[in-house]
Amino acid sequence: MDTNIPAGATRRSGRGELAIAIGVIGLALVIYWQVQVMPASPLYSKVGPALVPTLAAIGLFGLGCALLNAAIRGGWQTDEEAAAAPDRAALAWVAAGLALNVLLIGVAGFTIASTLLFLCVARGFGSRRIVRDAGIGFTFAVIAYFGFAKTLGINIGAGFVENTVEGLLPFIRKG
Amino acid sequence: MIDRRNLLLSTAAVTTATWAGLGATTAQPIELLKIMVPAAPGGGWDQTARTIEQVLRATNAVAGVQITNVAGAGGTVGLPQFVNQWKGQGNALMVGGMVMVGAIIANKSAVKLDAVTPIALLTGEALALVVPASSPFKTAKDFADALKADPTKVPVAGGSAGGSDHILLGLIAKAAGVAPAKVSYVAFAGGGPATAALLGSQVAGGISGYGEFAEQIKAGKLRVLAISSDKRQDGIDAPTLKEQGIDVELFNWRGVFAPAGVTDDQRKAMISLMDKMAASPEWVDACNKRGWTRITRTGDAYKTYIAAEIVRLEAILKDLGIG
Amino acid sequence: MDSLAGLTKGFAIALTPINLLWCLLGTTLGTAIGVLPGLGPALTIALLLPITFKVDPTAAFILFAGIYYGAMYGGSTTSILLNTPGESATIVTALEGNKMARKGRAGAALATAAIGSFVAGTIGTLGLTFLAPLVVDVALRFGPADYFALMVLAFVTVSAVLGSSAVRGLTALVIGIWLGMIGVDLQTGQARFTFGVPELLDGINVIIVAVGLFAVGETLYMASRASTGQDEVIPLKGSLWMTRDEWRRSWPAWLRGTAFGFPIGAMPAGGAEIPTFLSYYTEKKLSKYPEEFGHGAIEGVAGPEAANNASAAGVLVPMLTLGLPTSATAAIMLSAFQSYGINPGPLLFQTQPDLVWGLIASLFIGNVMLLVLNLPMIAIWVKMLMIPQPLLYAGILVFATIGTYGITQSIVDLLLLYAVGFAGYLMRRYDFPTAPVIIGMILGPLAEQNLRQAMTISAGDWSVFFTRPLSASLLALAALALVAPVLYELWSRSRSRVTTATKA
Repeated sequence: MDTNIPAGATRRSGRGELAIAIGVIGLALVIYWQVQVMPASPLYSKVGPALVPTLAAIGLFGLGCALLNAAIRGGWQTDEEAAAAPDRAALAWVAAGLALNVLLIGVAGFTIASTLLFLCVARGFGSRRIVRDAGIGFTFAVIAYFGFAKTLGINIGAGFVENTVEGLLPFIRKG
Repeated sequence: MIDRRNLLLSTAAVTTATWAGLGATTAQPIELLKIMVPAAPGGGWDQTARTIEQVLRATNAVAGVQITNVAGAGGTVGLPQFVNQWKGQGNALMVGGMVMVGAIIANKSAVKLDAVTPIALLTGEALALVVPASSPFKTAKDFADALKADPTKVPVAGGSAGGSDHILLGLIAKAAGVAPAKVSYVAFAGGGPATAALLGSQVAGGISGYGEFAEQIKAGKLRVLAISSDKRQDGIDAPTLKEQGIDVELFNWRGVFAPAGVTDDQRKAMISLMDKMAASPEWVDACNKRGWTRITRTGDAYKTYIAAEIVRLEAILKDLGIG
Repeated sequence: MDSLAGLTKGFAIALTPINLLWCLLGTTLGTAIGVLPGLGPALTIALLLPITFKVDPTAAFILFAGIYYGAMYGGSTTSILLNTPGESATIVTALEGNKMARKGRAGAALATAAIGSFVAGTIGTLGLTFLAPLVVDVALRFGPADYFALMVLAFVTVSAVLGSSAVRGLTALVIGIWLGMIGVDLQTGQARFTFGVPELLDGINVIIVAVGLFAVGETLYMASRASTGQDEVIPLKGSLWMTRDEWRRSWPAWLRGTAFGFPIGAMPAGGAEIPTFLSYYTEKKLSKYPEEFGHGAIEGVAGPEAANNASAAGVLVPMLTLGLPTSATAAIMLSAFQSYGINPGPLLFQTQPDLVWGLIASLFIGNVMLLVLNLPMIAIWVKMLMIPQPLLYAGILVFATIGTYGITQSIVDLLLLYAVGFAGYLMRRYDFPTAPVIIGMILGPLAEQNLRQAMTISAGDWSVFFTRPLSASLLALAALALVAPVLYELWSRSRSRVTTATKA
């Protein structure tokens, strides 16, 4: 529980809201820009590919301005939400798990990448039992891999672990 | 490292295959055939690959077949992978066809078909120009005349813009002396919705693979004005466009390619494998069931054919404002 | 009474032990793949197509039909328990279903979904048996202009999920519309918003966005709050099954959901998602407890679940009567017909009566099987909520990864999933509703394409939307849905003023 915020603190910066509003306006501008650089199609059509995106860009710009206005007036988050500081360490663990997964799934295969993801997320949620988590994650990933990938013949990214297990399978069947 | 992985993988796969077939001898030139389908399971290329698998296994030409699907953007996501990651693999094929030629042009793909080794053209499907049963058009000439009179009054349904259906309409328009881009083309997400629009008389005409319309034509709900093949087809009671004075011919063809960097021997072995397969009664039977026209053209003849197609499609797609 | 005779014969075929076994296999497999986000019935059937080389057609189609219906059941389970929709048609189910699960009513939510699916599936299959030719006749009258009007009507439903602020809700909606337009434009073949990434040319899969926003975003949000220990999940409160009150609230929603799902599913461009939106909106408007919506209202699970199962039956109407595939799954099933040398078309009922009636009978049987399979499973599923948070959320993320990466093996898709997840976290933290993104993403491109098709056909005449009777009445209905609540508000306010005045 974050107890650092004094009970009487009602002043809010609305900085997060400001960033969100600016982001929405930025997205509107990017959409508009992308529509402008799209080459005109000579094809016969009464409503071209640019109309709806242009309307979307204009609409989003207007909504972004409304958000900006709200942000400048102190933001719209509920007091409870604004007061609760996010647990950055936990977020970092989960984000690290996701990043590792993206980096490793192609190189190391599905099972290893998933086990690491599982470990990092569990750690982010406060679990300290690394060996147990790794065991559960690994088992879950292997079952998922062979359950879905093999019955349907989908290749969901085989790596060292999958190939080893698969290489052993015929022997297990025979023996 | 990579080699060991592949070795492991292929041993594993071969063992499973042997386990199933119990017949792999070393005399076979290709034991495990790997096929890349640069599209999602279920489509025309995927069915081509799975039919190849079925025929090759039934004739004991190979011990095992492994199919990998890499879907996306008319094959232009799979093609670069095939070129880079499958380089030099003598036991690998990729399915491709006219749609891929079009997609490479439309998507301005950096990797082109000249980066792979043409092995064999296998099948083609004629497209059909159809109208609702109640339509005033009786012949392709009626249709072309109406197009000439006012192209905006003749909305034609088909698949996505720049695809084979749209290309055929563009070619017909051009032959009739109408600017291809001026034609009123209504793109639908696939043959099903396009056929529904025709059955409900929402559009004046439609273009798709003949098979897509065949049953509706038999039931008398749609009328076929022409098919796009060079000559009349067995089992299809329809005149060609050429017969009716519209000098257009288009096949939605499909074939196979080997990766870049295969040896000449590997290439020849693959060509002879495909030649044998295409001549087998099993293949003939499978093609008949699916309504595919068999067009077998291997090696250099196939290469020349593709080169000509690329030139032709580039021109028409440019007219349609794509690519 | 031709249909009745056919159906009797069909039951004789479907009730043979071997075909029952195929049906069981199909429904079980369907439930399993329905659970996995990203792996839908279309892909599963496509992967199982080679089976057509080995078994007879009736058996293969019984298997495929089981997968098709089963996937709809399975998709709702993860929506409710894990807030991770397995299919795009079960996204709406997650809105109320997951809230119910958190309140300790997971059992009731799963039960109303299963029974609702059974009721809708059975009524839908009855419709397929007896009304198919009639329904298909009406469905074919819908042209692009009418579809556009239907989409406009469906857009009104977004008002039910806007949340606490219209500005933030609409922002989410427009962002969704934009996401839906990424990719190659169907009408001109031009790439829009792809930023040179070839993987984006085919557009973004709506399931990736839904799983990203709901599951990944939720996980990040919960992680950020993990140490403060809020948002406790209550595994079970009260009875495991539905209470009498929950029954009473569910059954009208099932019937209404069916009424949306079946006809819209039968329309060539209808789909399974739009009826779930319409059903959710209707239930919220008609409910005696509108304040419960957003916090776990059972009608919000019952209606949409019935709608998506009824639409599954609806999709089979044009497929079996005309040979028209109107969904990805139907298209794959048709190609399976072809590998047997059977050409599905308007004459299918005459040329292949055994196959068609066997298939329809197996749909009835499959529905019963799914109910029997799923109801006892509920007790086990609910235990899933007792898994400690660290393991549960870790499992959810691994699960989402299998679904996304497993099918396409595309790192781009995986990056998208996680990026959308981060956006989902921000949306949650800054009180943006996420459902409008999904609605925008599904309806936006459909509305745009139909509008442009209609305008190309009419050669630029905007009046088509008002001169076509279907389109005009749908637009009128949309206008009514927007204006009526405001008028009602004014009316009841003035009336209460009158009553207070008379009392005083």
